[in-house]
Amino acid sequence: MLRLPMPWSKKRGQRRLGNPSVGIAGEVAFSGAAFLSGVFGLSLVLISQFAPQQVPEQVSSEALSTRLSSWVIGVVSLAAVMIGAMRLVFRVMHLNASDEMRSVIATKAAALERLAPGQGGEVGLPNVPRGKSITDSPGEYLRYRLPVVIGEDGIFGPALLALFWNTAWIILLAVVVSGFWIGRPRWILAGLLVPFALIGRWSFLYFLSQVRQRIGVGPTVVEISEHPLKPGGRYDLFISQGGRLKLKRLSVELVCEEETFYRQGTDVRVERHQAFVLGLARQRDLEVDPQVPWEQQLVMEIPANVMHSFAGTHNAIRWKIVVKGESRPWPSFCRNYPVVVHPPG
Amino acid sequence: MAIILPKLSRRRSSTGVTSESQPAIRLTLCDPNSMYLAGGELTAKWRISRVQVDELQGLEISVLWHTEGKGDEDLHVHHFQRIGDAKLREIGVENEQSIQCVLPAAPLSYHGQLIRLSWCVRVRLYLEDGRDIVSESPFYLVTQLQQTPCVANSGEEEEPLKGASDASSVAASRSAQTRSVLASLRR
Repeated sequence: MLRLPMPWSKKRGQRRLGNPSVGIAGEVAFSGAAFLSGVFGLSLVLISQFAPQQVPEQVSSEALSTRLSSWVIGVVSLAAVMIGAMRLVFRVMHLNASDEMRSVIATKAAALERLAPGQGGEVGLPNVPRGKSITDSPGEYLRYRLPVVIGEDGIFGPALLALFWNTAWIILLAVVVSGFWIGRPRWILAGLLVPFALIGRWSFLYFLSQVRQRIGVGPTVVEISEHPLKPGGRYDLFISQGGRLKLKRLSVELVCEEETFYRQGTDVRVERHQAFVLGLARQRDLEVDPQVPWEQQLVMEIPANVMHSFAGTHNAIRWKIVVKGESRPWPSFCRNYPVVVHPPG
Repeated sequence: MAIILPKLSRRRSSTGVTSESQPAIRLTLCDPNSMYLAGGELTAKWRISRVQVDELQGLEISVLWHTEGKGDEDLHVHHFQRIGDAKLREIGVENEQSIQCVLPAAPLSYHGQLIRLSWCVRVRLYLEDGRDIVSESPFYLVTQLQQTPCVANSGEEEEPLKGASDASSVAASRSAQTRSVLASLRR
């Protein structure tokens, strides 16, 4: 029975919407068309530059009349030629080669790259991250101080948004005021000032809240007695939370997270799932003073039958220590400290 | 032992029954439980039947791991061997052949919510008419400490907080869960 493709349906496992050879044929056709149209456009530009009398009459005389239009058409054509040629070569090279053969070739190429000093994965543990940066910093109480991951709630994005939006708003304001000044008011632009000002205000307040969170919450220090970790192992952990805070709740967890990347149309999507959570500490109604930070010494025992850290091209299993706090008046915070778990043995 | 009928996608009848005239690959692992220790040795035996050697173009044998699940597939070949048509004629496909390799220390087999990491021995047979036939025999890569493949928690529920010293009880419950999943996998 003929199956109609449904591009909006959710991808599950290895299910395919149709015959893969149709996709390959489509890709080859598209690449070929891009290559040929690029060659055509590039030829036109070159002819118009070096032998203008040879340009066919069908081509509009305005299309290549200026230097700018020639450059634009030339660059776009060159890009089409390169993209089309590269995709064609890539596809031809992959014809008649199994997935396994391609993987072997890629592994050999990666091995050649690793010959350069200072590169390469963990010796004897393929696809297990090295985590070298984790042990860069020595701890004060225990052996290593774990680095914090700059999370998705970073301050850089809000700062840029607030800066650029409000700068644009001020330029717009100057244009509107100058219009009134010379007696030619721009009413549409003047009308846009109010909603734009509201967005600018929101972006600035959001930036301020991020600054408050960063300054107010204070540093979180996590130190560990050994690294990398192993299933069945027992490790000492030291946690310190500074700042001036009244926390409703503070928790420390060891988390194993599955992370997958997949393509949906032209987007690359990420999905995460907490495969394992081990609560290490939890405290309610906590008051932290800048002079007296909250400190806790914990013992962390990793169960024997858990998966080690793993890093593939599209899939990963990551371990981390998560410190979460619900506070007033500051916003809640969540800080991640990645660790690497090796396979036992 | 695994006898996997040829994977003739798009040409196989809808009932899934393969004709007696089509080639078949018999692939047998040395461990009947399909459990191999990381760093240990794996031996697999293979034999091709219902096909003349003149109809074969080549054969690839790989020991590999690949991921399954929601994400795009990752695949890595640990051991690879390609046998050309001349070599196939020399060894004779009807005779049982074997391959041996030392398995790596990682990655171990894993059965999670989003990711499943599976090891297998894969034989890919290329025919003269351009078709290829694939046969796989999956196995588990485990360690001495972890006698069963690692399994993720099935639900989103938070572990009850009893302090770090209670991790052994968590491990015990997970071990029971592992056994049940393993049983379902084998079924």
